[in-house]
Amino acid sequence: MEVTGYLMQGFAVALTPSNLMWCFIGCFLGTVIGILPGLGPAATIAMLLPLTFRMDPTSALIMLGGIYYGSKYGGSTTSILLNVPGESASVVTCIDGYAMAKKGRGGPALGIAAIASFIAGTLGVIGLMLVAPPLARFALSFSSPEYFALMSLGLAMVVLLAGESMTKALLAMLVGLWIAGMGTDLFTSTSRFTFGNMEMLDGIDFVVVAIGVFALGEVLGNMEIREGAKMLPVPKGWRNLLPTWQDLKDCRFAFLNGSVVGFIIGVLPGAGSTIASFISYGIEKAVSKHPEKFGTGVPEGVAAPEGANNAETGGALVPMLTLGIPGSGTTAILLAALILWGLKPGPLMIQDNPTLFWGLVASMYIGNVMLLVLNLPLVPLFAQILRLPVYVLYPVIFGISMVGVYGVSSSLFDVWMLGAFGLIGYAMRKLDYPAAPLILGFVLGDSMERALRQSLMMSQGDLSILVSRPISAIMLFLTVLILIAPLFRRANAWRVKAIS
Amino acid sequence: MKTGSAIFATALIAAAIALPAHAQGFKPSKPIEFVTHTGPGGGGDVFARGIAAAMEKEKLMPVRMQVVNKTGGGGLTAMAYLAEKQGETHTIAVFTGIWFTNPIMRKEAKFTMRDMTPLVRLVLEPAMVAVKNDAPYKSLKDFIDAAKQKPGEMKQSGGSLGSRDWVVRQLLMTNTGANWAFISFPGGGERIAALLGGHVNMMVIEPQEAGEHIRAGNLRVIATVADKRLPAFPDVPTIQEAGFKIPNVPQVRGIVAPPGVPAEVVAYWEELFARFIKTASWQKYLDDNMFQDGYMRSAELAKFGDEFSDSTRKILVEGGVKVAR
Repeated sequence: MEVTGYLMQGFAVALTPSNLMWCFIGCFLGTVIGILPGLGPAATIAMLLPLTFRMDPTSALIMLGGIYYGSKYGGSTTSILLNVPGESASVVTCIDGYAMAKKGRGGPALGIAAIASFIAGTLGVIGLMLVAPPLARFALSFSSPEYFALMSLGLAMVVLLAGESMTKALLAMLVGLWIAGMGTDLFTSTSRFTFGNMEMLDGIDFVVVAIGVFALGEVLGNMEIREGAKMLPVPKGWRNLLPTWQDLKDCRFAFLNGSVVGFIIGVLPGAGSTIASFISYGIEKAVSKHPEKFGTGVPEGVAAPEGANNAETGGALVPMLTLGIPGSGTTAILLAALILWGLKPGPLMIQDNPTLFWGLVASMYIGNVMLLVLNLPLVPLFAQILRLPVYVLYPVIFGISMVGVYGVSSSLFDVWMLGAFGLIGYAMRKLDYPAAPLILGFVLGDSMERALRQSLMMSQGDLSILVSRPISAIMLFLTVLILIAPLFRRANAWRVKAIS
Repeated sequence: MKTGSAIFATALIAAAIALPAHAQGFKPSKPIEFVTHTGPGGGGDVFARGIAAAMEKEKLMPVRMQVVNKTGGGGLTAMAYLAEKQGETHTIAVFTGIWFTNPIMRKEAKFTMRDMTPLVRLVLEPAMVAVKNDAPYKSLKDFIDAAKQKPGEMKQSGGSLGSRDWVVRQLLMTNTGANWAFISFPGGGERIAALLGGHVNMMVIEPQEAGEHIRAGNLRVIATVADKRLPAFPDVPTIQEAGFKIPNVPQVRGIVAPPGVPAEVVAYWEELFARFIKTASWQKYLDDNMFQDGYMRSAELAKFGDEFSDSTRKILVEGGVKVAR
């Protein structure tokens, strides 16, 4: 097969000692910045860009690529241990990951995240290698109506994220959608809810909302309980810090689900890893034999979103490498790097520079192995953080949250906003409103509104554009199914009651 | 053309010889903070990093340039940051057209370009009107005729209101009486994807973005938005040559300093960039990106800025946009 030959050629490139070294440096840096909330791969790659000018482009791409997919490995660490989402795609990981940590299973949760990252990362590379060009063409058939349908499908996941009360979940989601609308209207450049504040022109940053509602809300809520020097339980011994065979068996489907969903959504330039992680979590819960346990710390709830987050990398590289179209901030700067190195990203790049593409692909296989070897031994080490008494741990979470938020924007305004969202998160906990639907609405609101308005501009206001296109129609149909499923279940429950 | 640039070059050399007498007063003594309003990978960011790298390579400055991203508010955050640094001699920033346009439209803006100290204008970025390769439009006239036949049905993908591609559409529509939809996408990638996928009919695209898609046979250029034909596309007429008498709309980039910077510092930058634009690194950068040299000194830039603002304001008002100032 043609692919095998190219891949061997790629390995010949990636396995040279210097390229192995660059790959390791990239993966190591990626892990570090993934763990630090705030500092993301895009900013890191931008900072390192000047150093790459003298490097061979293939080596440079291998290193920068390592930073990109390596950062996804580390992103789950603070989510699981501290309920601080390090990046937008790790929000879902907080739900079951932190619940596992609270049950004394923080180590296994970290282990599951690393293994899911490895499996999905590798499957993502296989996808990139085998189906990139046809898939890129498929991605082009997606336009605004399809994106609107995809976002609706994502939003329907609220049904699966709801706790006891569907009403409260829906209310939280609506608040999220409202917050998403703040800032500048893309189409008319008019201001919404900015109150004349320049800082509000870009709306509220995702990190502010997520860290505020999740991490600060949790800390404020727990401070009421006078726990004194009580610690989170961390069992002793190596074995209890790593996932068991049973955990891995439970996660079999989650690994696959996360990989496939993450990769496909990654290919679409207008979607992103956050929606991928929400959808794969939703699917996992929908097909689970014990959906009621989700949110209480099940390993599948960590494996699916972490898998999706990592497979997304391979997917996102598809339109970037085959069409020169970046789908995210990180792929945009990688694209800029290719141009600065004198390459011409576009439909002919792989054909013109096979060594570059296949060298990168081969290095991604190697890098994923390196990351697993690098991350698994770190698990017991990081799990020790939970041994800190709460009077040390909570101030640390406060500090990390503020540094993380300030690191993104260097804006004190955002730090104040973080405090405000911490209070909102606290109030939601007290009143028993789930936080995840708010985040879901907030993440999807902007792109969903945009896709709908773009669609209607395309059709001159005719709503039928949403259902007359097959892909969009199918996704909207699935959305409706998910939304009415709980009603059927309730009707069924009544009938069973009536019969008995 | 040749004589023109020779005169230009002579003038520059004369200026370079004449200037040091005035510029002697200032020489940077610590790293230069080089502000851009886009995030890593954005147009301004890549431009700033390109300049910083070329400056270093050509060893034109005794100190390094450190690129700082002050994103947000479509340039307003970066402008406010500069305004805070009043009189600071070691801070400069990349400006683009949006630095003129956005303060006109947004009431939140506290500062305009008139508050800043203009240093130099560096490049004019041309653009191209592109359609999908299998589209029936062979020329801009074909597209305009099709738009006239089906008012509102043809679509253009682009940035936001007030952006360069929007202004080009506005001018063409006023000039011809045709009418087509403008669909905003936040990222350049999404705009191209919409065109390649056949979801829109036309796009005003940057040559560098389009180049590879043209080479691969996915896109066709029907006109260029430039003063003269682009060397890489000698057969493609400019909009004016294609028969549409509208003013040219360049995307402009250059350098400004905070308000209240002393004249000797302005002179230092003018002279430095006059030497910089003649380096091989910079020429290669221009060629690679198909940019046109648009060097202008501080005084000319101030005049250009006022004219640019006035014409943009007029186009915005005609296009039905509420202006704040």
